[in-house]
Amino acid sequence: MTSIYLDHAATSPLRPAALEAMLPVLGAGYGNPSSAHAWGRRSRAALDEARASLAELLGARESEIVFTRGGTEADNVAVLGRWRAAEPGAVLVCSMVEHSAVARSMAAAADGGATLHHLPVDEQGVVRLEGLDELLAARPALVSVMWVNNETGVIQPIAELAQRCQSAGVVFHTDAVQALGKVNVRVDDVPVDLLSLSAHKIGGPRGTGALFIRKGTELSPLLHGGGQERGFRPGTEDVAGAMSFAAAAQAALAECSAEMNRLRTLRNHLEAGLMTLPGVRINGAGADRSPAISHFSFSDVPGELLIPALDRAGVAASSGSACASGARQPSRVLLAMGVEPPLAMQVARFSYGWSTTPEEVVDAARLISDMIERLRDLAGAGSVPASPALASSGAER
Amino acid sequence: MSSGKQTVLVAMSGGVDSSVAAALLVEQGHEVIGVTMKTFCYSENDAPSKTCCGLDGIMDARRVADRLAIPHYVFDVERDFTRDVIDDFVAEYAAGRTPNPCVRCNGNTKFRDLLKRGEMLGCEVIATGHYARMGRAPDGSPTLLRGLDRNKDQAYFLWGLPPAMLPSLRFPLGELTKPEVRARAREMELVTAEKPESQEICFVPDGDYVGFLRGRLGAEHPALSPGALVTTGGETVGEHDGYAGFTVGQRKGLGGGHGRRLYVIGSRPAQREVVIGSADELLRREFEIRELNWLAPPAGKGEQVEVQIRHRAAAVAARVTMAEPGKLGLALDEPLRAVTPGQSCVVFRGDLVLGGGRIAA
Repeated sequence: MTSIYLDHAATSPLRPAALEAMLPVLGAGYGNPSSAHAWGRRSRAALDEARASLAELLGARESEIVFTRGGTEADNVAVLGRWRAAEPGAVLVCSMVEHSAVARSMAAAADGGATLHHLPVDEQGVVRLEGLDELLAARPALVSVMWVNNETGVIQPIAELAQRCQSAGVVFHTDAVQALGKVNVRVDDVPVDLLSLSAHKIGGPRGTGALFIRKGTELSPLLHGGGQERGFRPGTEDVAGAMSFAAAAQAALAECSAEMNRLRTLRNHLEAGLMTLPGVRINGAGADRSPAISHFSFSDVPGELLIPALDRAGVAASSGSACASGARQPSRVLLAMGVEPPLAMQVARFSYGWSTTPEEVVDAARLISDMIERLRDLAGAGSVPASPALASSGAER
Repeated sequence: MSSGKQTVLVAMSGGVDSSVAAALLVEQGHEVIGVTMKTFCYSENDAPSKTCCGLDGIMDARRVADRLAIPHYVFDVERDFTRDVIDDFVAEYAAGRTPNPCVRCNGNTKFRDLLKRGEMLGCEVIATGHYARMGRAPDGSPTLLRGLDRNKDQAYFLWGLPPAMLPSLRFPLGELTKPEVRARAREMELVTAEKPESQEICFVPDGDYVGFLRGRLGAEHPALSPGALVTTGGETVGEHDGYAGFTVGQRKGLGGGHGRRLYVIGSRPAQREVVIGSADELLRREFEIRELNWLAPPAGKGEQVEVQIRHRAAAVAARVTMAEPGKLGLALDEPLRAVTPGQSCVVFRGDLVLGGGRIAA
């Protein structure tokens, strides 16, 4: 039924080059990279090539790239690895709008005795740096702020944060999962110490990610085993995933600025189209944003029906704040931005990527507008009245 | 009933009945959308879920939907469910009555919510896996009928549906027996085919409703505090540990040594008393029902009807002795044991559900 895919920030379709890079490894390219025979050497060579390629794209050294099983794992290794390398009561700092992979890792450290500080955001969702010097003076074991917010697409002032942390001698981590391929992610330009990446947000495979660990950064591993990935991700390496990730990154970064201009045009078209409706707000509109994400709040619609109704209308989108069992919670990110709870639940995120076409965006703008109007009509029309007798709560009241 | 292709929203609990209901609708060529209502907070119940309302239920419903190649959505109705069903459940027990939360959920939460959401997703009708049937009155208006399988018939739980909703309802299992439903589930290789029946109240998966009430009301609440066991003659013969744990007709928990078989006859919440008596004293012939809901033209005074006073009980003949707005007096042809305040009394004429109400104290 669904025909227009606007959920690239959840998972982008696998790029042809990423599929091609993976297939030979999955087929004839077996062998354990740790084995000292021809099969092992071939696997090792492929893994080294993938690592070198990713390192070059990021401006890192090969030895600074650790492949992980995704962005969440990279975030966990960064946050909990830093905490374990420090005192149990260490101070940890993150923003109010982190992805749950960072937010919950921080919370787990806090449960274990860490002292947690949160950097607030302004009404656009941009991290406020006023209190930063004071926090840095407390010598936190880690400051972690995401590069691009996964819900709103708002870009955080990572260069400034990284520089100020560097000056203070504090380790800085950024979750760059939504930033890679959208903004210029170069660790030789920006002095971050730790940086998390995910392959499937840029057209690579699901289940593969990476953590950049700047040389000299003290970090304790979370998993224990055979010492692969410099001990930070022991276990036999996912060679196919690494190769495919590197190929996707090549493709995504080769054309980054032209592609971002293209996506910006598409995004602006969709946003302009929906803004002709009343009661629509683009969250973070006043901030510097990734051109790959639009995040809307629609007043007077039942929030929990937005995504299913869009699915029915043929547009794949996300809300970004539902748990596995479907429990509806207002978006933490929007609450931190000061958005009122109803609007923080009446949300839809549309995200664009390499396969998005102008035709799709034109169609989507129309389908989404029609759907919002229909939902509002039905919501305003009221519903079936309760059984007269059961309308009150409790007997004889 | 319309036989054309329709867009149907089907409530899928993750049990075998609603799974087969969805499958039958797909087989009939309808465009089917599955939904699971998340009614209460699973995180409060970490124990592996025995009933089909748990998180496992959501996963099973999703797997069946995947197998049927239909979309499946989860809707969180926890807030409404807590307000309309759980709060009422607790208030009724606190007042010394025995509620039917499923009736309350069907009438107030589940169906209304499904219909509203269904409309928004472009559905014309909604369906569930209840064992009940839709019929037509002579004037063409839709009626609610018992399911053909008398062992499974669930019309008792559906008397509280808003009558305006009847035209939008489908019960695909109404003509089937439970063994037939299981056989269909096996044929279609649905993952829920062998799933056991859920008998408990979905938000009390361990069946310990007194424990649940303690969590909601606090252990100090009068309904959960010790009081006197008194006979119908007014004699105190022992102590009980909270009247909320006693339902009319119950024998358990009364202790021995009374010299005769004793049953709970009722309770007096204001005095914290549980009244006990002999089997004969349990018999009642006349009673009143309130909070009426009619799904067919209301029964009038003097009319002969059949009534069912609990799930799985047989319907018995009764005469309407009083009919006022919101109140109906009933006289049974033969007295019944354990006419229980708070329970639903459903009024039938044959298979036709006329309506129902709650048994008044």
